[in-house]
Amino acid sequence: MKRKVFTISAVLIVAIIFAVGSSAQNRDRFSHSTPAHQKKNCASCHNMPTANWVAARGFPDVADFPGHAACASCHMRDFFRGGNKPIFCLGCHSDVGPGRGPRFAFPVQSRSHEFLTKFPHNVHQDVVARNDSRNEIAVAHFVNASFTRNVDDKPPQFNNCAICHETSTKLPKLETLPPKDKSLTPLGLALTESFTPAAAFFKDMPSGHQTCFACHYTGVKPVANNCAGCHTLTKSYTDTNILGRYSLKFDHMDKNERGDFVHTRDCMTCHVRISQNDDIAKMKDPDVPILACIACHGDKLTEEIGKRESSVAANTAAFQCSYCHTTAIGRFAIPLSHK
Amino acid sequence: MRVLCFVSLVVLASPFWATDGRAQDRGSIEISGRVSVAGAQVKLKRKRFYLFRGGLEANKAMIERIKAASVTSRDCFYCKAKASAEYTTWLKSGDCESPYCREIEGQDIEKVPEFQAAYQKGLKQFRGKPNLAQKWLTTNLTPALRDGFYRDRKTLTTGLLGAAKPLQSSMTDSVSVVAIFIDIPLNIAAGKKTETFLVSNLVPIEIGDKSYVWACEAEISVGKKVKLPPLPLADTSKIVKKCEVVVRDLPKCTVGSCAQ
Repeated sequence: MKRKVFTISAVLIVAIIFAVGSSAQNRDRFSHSTPAHQKKNCASCHNMPTANWVAARGFPDVADFPGHAACASCHMRDFFRGGNKPIFCLGCHSDVGPGRGPRFAFPVQSRSHEFLTKFPHNVHQDVVARNDSRNEIAVAHFVNASFTRNVDDKPPQFNNCAICHETSTKLPKLETLPPKDKSLTPLGLALTESFTPAAAFFKDMPSGHQTCFACHYTGVKPVANNCAGCHTLTKSYTDTNILGRYSLKFDHMDKNERGDFVHTRDCMTCHVRISQNDDIAKMKDPDVPILACIACHGDKLTEEIGKRESSVAANTAAFQCSYCHTTAIGRFAIPLSHK
Repeated sequence: MRVLCFVSLVVLASPFWATDGRAQDRGSIEISGRVSVAGAQVKLKRKRFYLFRGGLEANKAMIERIKAASVTSRDCFYCKAKASAEYTTWLKSGDCESPYCREIEGQDIEKVPEFQAAYQKGLKQFRGKPNLAQKWLTTNLTPALRDGFYRDRKTLTTGLLGAAKPLQSSMTDSVSVVAIFIDIPLNIAAGKKTETFLVSNLVPIEIGDKSYVWACEAEISVGKKVKLPPLPLADTSKIVKKCEVVVRDLPKCTVGSCAQ
């Protein structure tokens, strides 16, 4: 009996390993990282834009797989390997066989990512800068054109971070980050937490080419057909799309008792380092230093630190900070930056 | 032999963990972009400032380059780029340095010939889609009018910096109008409580009919955030309270008469 159970278990384990392996293999059937593929220019396989851009995206984009010719120059034999079911074709086609099999939607979202995106915030902040220090607004005294507005006109939309980062309409996947200082330990078990953030607490970010191409399609470098201008090949990775936050309770769209938005300031007022960030890869989190919070919420911080210290002095359960943090992080020892 | 190798490794590696354990002292400084001009407050919003180690003396070469630089004002740049009067007026009406400053609306396309030409080109390029032709309009502007002024400023900055390496840079925001440098690594000499730094905008900021570059000394100490005294204004270039103020008169440039 024991032997039978052992055999069945072993077979099951092998089957699972095989299934997982082959599903990962199918998922990542094509790799940009192979030496042969790395020797190629992006444009030798990809068209920019692809013929289907109008229907697929509504703006010029690489919206489809390269044609057969791109693969055939090196992989002609693979097209016929495997008889009527050439596995090679699963790189682009969801079903293989004679005739025109359907293709996956491009790009295949379930596949691992192979490229990182370079984005210098500093350059973009400089480019949208205004010359806002003039005493007088120049008027068109030499031009037969007026740019003055009627009272009812909406104010001009000056470009800022919101070009790329709009208020989220869908609650992202979230996690509370542990303190940066790894020496800090929790002073107790987290109290039950009933707080749940809303979608509008967060800002989203571009997930495709549309925002970038609005300025970079042609003209300003890197242009749309220079893939390497923005993307670098890296070890394949899976994007979890989980937002990590230290202060989950921060609400970008918070209002005061009068109904005014309190956090709709210039983003740089709090994200103080963003204007010098030359590579998004160097940003590990939204990077708002505590001093940005203290400017308005210093009294609350002092109050909570006081409560913590009193509870510790009285040898009772340590007070868990809850004004900014959920108890998952509010139970940890207070970091030096907060004192 | 094995023991000797181990001992050698320990000796070689010891300086690394000795410094690793010590966190370097850090400081921070805030620069206010509010300056007083003839009794009125002018807000220098979204202006970049650079932080350098050392004071005026240590950065003398760079300050000399700032004083000697040939600078083209915004108006003269666009004048020389042969921008139409309508284009220049559109920039001025929003205090813009480039077309990326604000949304280009339908009425702007009707009035500004460069926008109209780029829009028409976009319509052909984007299969008659008016929304794309408008939203992506800057992709079809001529290089000089599109990002020429930014590139000019970037070249100027590179030239002014020369071999000098700023420790950090930061921009003033548009609400508090302050630029903040934080986590500045300090190398405070023995017997001193502060380290001297230099804060400068490098690229002239245009206020009224003059442009200004400030290079101001600041003493930064550990922990506490230092506030730089308000940027001083002057009629002519001079040193005011440990601040080298470089003042230039802006040349008058209008379409067809580019002074510079």
